[in-house]
Amino acid sequence: MSKFRLYLEENNRSPVKQLWREFKRQHSAMTGLVLFITFFFISVLAPFITPHDPYLQVDELLLLPPSWSAAGLVQYPFGTDDLGRDLLSRMIKGTSYTFGFALITVAGALIMGLVLGALAGMSKGVKSSVFNHILDLALTIPSLLLAIIIVAVIGPGLMNTTWAIMVALLPQFVHGIRNAIDEELKQDYVIAYRLDGANSWQVLTRLILPNIWEKLTIMATMAISTAILDIAALGFLGFGAQAPLSEWGAMISDSLDLIYLAPSSVAIPGLLIFTAVLSVNLVGDGLKTAILKRRQN
Amino acid sequence: MLLLDIKNLTIELETADGLVRAVDRVSLSLREGETRGLVGESGSGKSLIAKAIVGVLNRRWQVTADRFHWLGKDLLRLTPEQRRQIIGRDIAMIYQEPSRSLDPTAVIGEQLEEAIPDHLLSGPWWRRSALRRKKAVGLLHKVGVRDHQRVLQSYPYQLSEGICQKVMIAMAIAKNPKLLIADEPTTALESTTQAQLFRLLASFNQLKGMAVLLISHELESVARYTQKLSVLYCGQLVEAGETTQVLQAPLHPYTDALIKSVPEFQPDLAPKTPLYALPGSIPTLQHVPIGCRLGPRCPNARKECVKTPALERQQNHYFSCHFPLTTKGN
Amino acid sequence: MTDLLEVQALSKGYTKQQGWFGRQHITALDDVSFTLAEGKTLAIVGETGSGKSTLAKLLVGIEKPDSGQILLAGQPVEISHYKKYNHVIRFIFQDAGRSLNPSQKVGQMLEDVLCFSTVLDQQQRRYKIGQTLKLLGLLDEHAEYYPHMFSGGQLQRVALARALILDPKLLILDEALTALDPTLRAQIVNLLLELQQSSGLAYLLISNQLRLVRHISDSILVLHQGKVVDYGTTTEVFAAPAHDYTKKLINSSAG
Repeated sequence: MSKFRLYLEENNRSPVKQLWREFKRQHSAMTGLVLFITFFFISVLAPFITPHDPYLQVDELLLLPPSWSAAGLVQYPFGTDDLGRDLLSRMIKGTSYTFGFALITVAGALIMGLVLGALAGMSKGVKSSVFNHILDLALTIPSLLLAIIIVAVIGPGLMNTTWAIMVALLPQFVHGIRNAIDEELKQDYVIAYRLDGANSWQVLTRLILPNIWEKLTIMATMAISTAILDIAALGFLGFGAQAPLSEWGAMISDSLDLIYLAPSSVAIPGLLIFTAVLSVNLVGDGLKTAILKRRQN
Repeated sequence: MLLLDIKNLTIELETADGLVRAVDRVSLSLREGETRGLVGESGSGKSLIAKAIVGVLNRRWQVTADRFHWLGKDLLRLTPEQRRQIIGRDIAMIYQEPSRSLDPTAVIGEQLEEAIPDHLLSGPWWRRSALRRKKAVGLLHKVGVRDHQRVLQSYPYQLSEGICQKVMIAMAIAKNPKLLIADEPTTALESTTQAQLFRLLASFNQLKGMAVLLISHELESVARYTQKLSVLYCGQLVEAGETTQVLQAPLHPYTDALIKSVPEFQPDLAPKTPLYALPGSIPTLQHVPIGCRLGPRCPNARKECVKTPALERQQNHYFSCHFPLTTKGN
Repeated sequence: MTDLLEVQALSKGYTKQQGWFGRQHITALDDVSFTLAEGKTLAIVGETGSGKSTLAKLLVGIEKPDSGQILLAGQPVEISHYKKYNHVIRFIFQDAGRSLNPSQKVGQMLEDVLCFSTVLDQQQRRYKIGQTLKLLGLLDEHAEYYPHMFSGGQLQRVALARALILDPKLLILDEALTALDPTLRAQIVNLLLELQQSSGLAYLLISNQLRLVRHISDSILVLHQGKVVDYGTTTEVFAAPAHDYTKKLINSSAG
């Protein structure tokens, strides 16, 4: 069949391929995607690619400046901190803490949100309305504040932060998913599908989920940037990752006293947080634009 | 004098895969006080032409024409500002879904009064608002809305589509335009209201000498209320002429098919017998055939049809086909 | 011969919330009865709000009637068990494009229909899909297409394929022909007439355009504000309309 192309390509693509085509056209979004994938691989491979042990304290090399200054060493590109630990290795390790844990958090929140959102979206009447009003109430609390409260109750630590942010992100997911499902249910093709004999479960899995996954992706990318910022903020405030862990936020707060002696030890994690959030937002924005453009065609 | 004189109008859309020609060298002219029907199926570019006339196409569309004259002035050569002034004064347009073209957050009275231009109100400024109100009521009466009090105070969603469309017409005729363009004005309406609206448009044409360009995909509804007819297919003008003449002796196979596919024009056709139908479907803009765009669907297409036929003329009857139908009924 | 579909005294009302406490009862359908024999076409004509859409919803089982009975081949049925009856009565939507899932291939959609309502195995399903597509003048390749790749007329064919794949006895067409372009409409009308002759399909045509109704339907039922105001064979009704509304309707279509 592939020999005869009777029609031009662009109209004969599946919706996903069309989306990718529109996405590819945006350079900023592609840059974001490349950065995102890089961060992802660094966070997965962190234990294998760190040049030094990120927790090894070398007493002879305290506060080594980065290698581009005259006093620096090539083996320690970003220099060392006040305990003589290699900053590059700590950054790499930190990627899996800040970026990796943000991904896990969002994935967890997304799964829980899907279950609850589907329950809320597919049910009708008083049950659904009560549920929704409680959710709306939870939405009024900012996610960072909610996360701080939860951490204050269950105690500091990276794992607890993850749980806290997951719970804090949950209301917006449930709300978004419920609205998306609600919108889908109004479509003619849902009625048509029911008339074909499908039950609610089949309608949900075969019809609604494939049609809302794009919205879910956008929601998730936006949530990832929130999660990164929240994890870093909690780490910075001392509620999140604790002392030796090389989480980016915690690292900034650790080296804040040394900002005059070793500015790079504050600047680099800050820059990384910025880049990570930027990459995620670029991808999310690009997706949004691509979906909009596809609809226009 | 010709009100509107368009020759070889071409409208192209910029897409990622290059220019797509949505309207291909269409000529259209309108005399003062004339009613012309513009008939075509979806994708024929009929709405695009209307939009090009009033100049509301966005930047992605490129409009070119050999001649694009409104009362002797070339609209394409004017600055947007000048053009808007002329069109704002002389041309009015009504759309398919009236409830969507009205502002949902304002009452009808407010919107209707806003549509009345200042220069039509004679009186000192302090009486303006009272005059406006009076004129609005008068306009509603003209379009056949009797309980003006209720309508003026209603929001669009409280009124039926039929009433909304009448309000739209009232707003359109408020400035006494020379030309009214009606883009599928009755598609959203009940069949009983449809006839009413067409009669309304026809009466304005006769009483005020307002020219009407009636755009529709239904040949039968247009044919009844227009003097002239232009038939479009896929952005090409296939036939134009006096409505009665075109209906009685179509020269283009497409017009012929269009007429034969409507049971109403075939009184001797027994119920439940097959209708005459062209094979195939309307091509999308990206995939239009070269030459005569009807080509693949045409019953008497031949080798020559890969060349676009030029618009030919038999008295007042224009057509673009290499092999025009000579007698009816073959 | 018993009639395929018999509707007896069907009524349906809605309560509409008005303000905080007020409630208003609206009668959408009031005591509607008619019969439809195999291989015949009944047209239901009426303006918006006359109850014709409600009637369609009751017949396919999206909603339950307040009172009255629906008889299929002489047997009273609870149509709202649509699992049981959905392959006898099929519904065609006004806008074919919107009744198809945009992110599913047509073949997959047809396969789902068969999965839900039949016991065929995969090979039989394939065969059936191929046959149905051919019946409607579509190609096998079209099964691999997404809905957005079809043009308007083809979409209506796909919608018909979806309905006909279950071998129904009755097809409800809810304004399905109104929005089509004339030459495509003629094609679809011919297709429907052909199918009726070859397989004895019955049609319930819901429309507010008398032009086509006159050509296609055997009998006609005029609804006005939920009540039947005219019912009879098409020629009878057109020759001697009983109700003012019907007269107005016929006049408006005749010009």
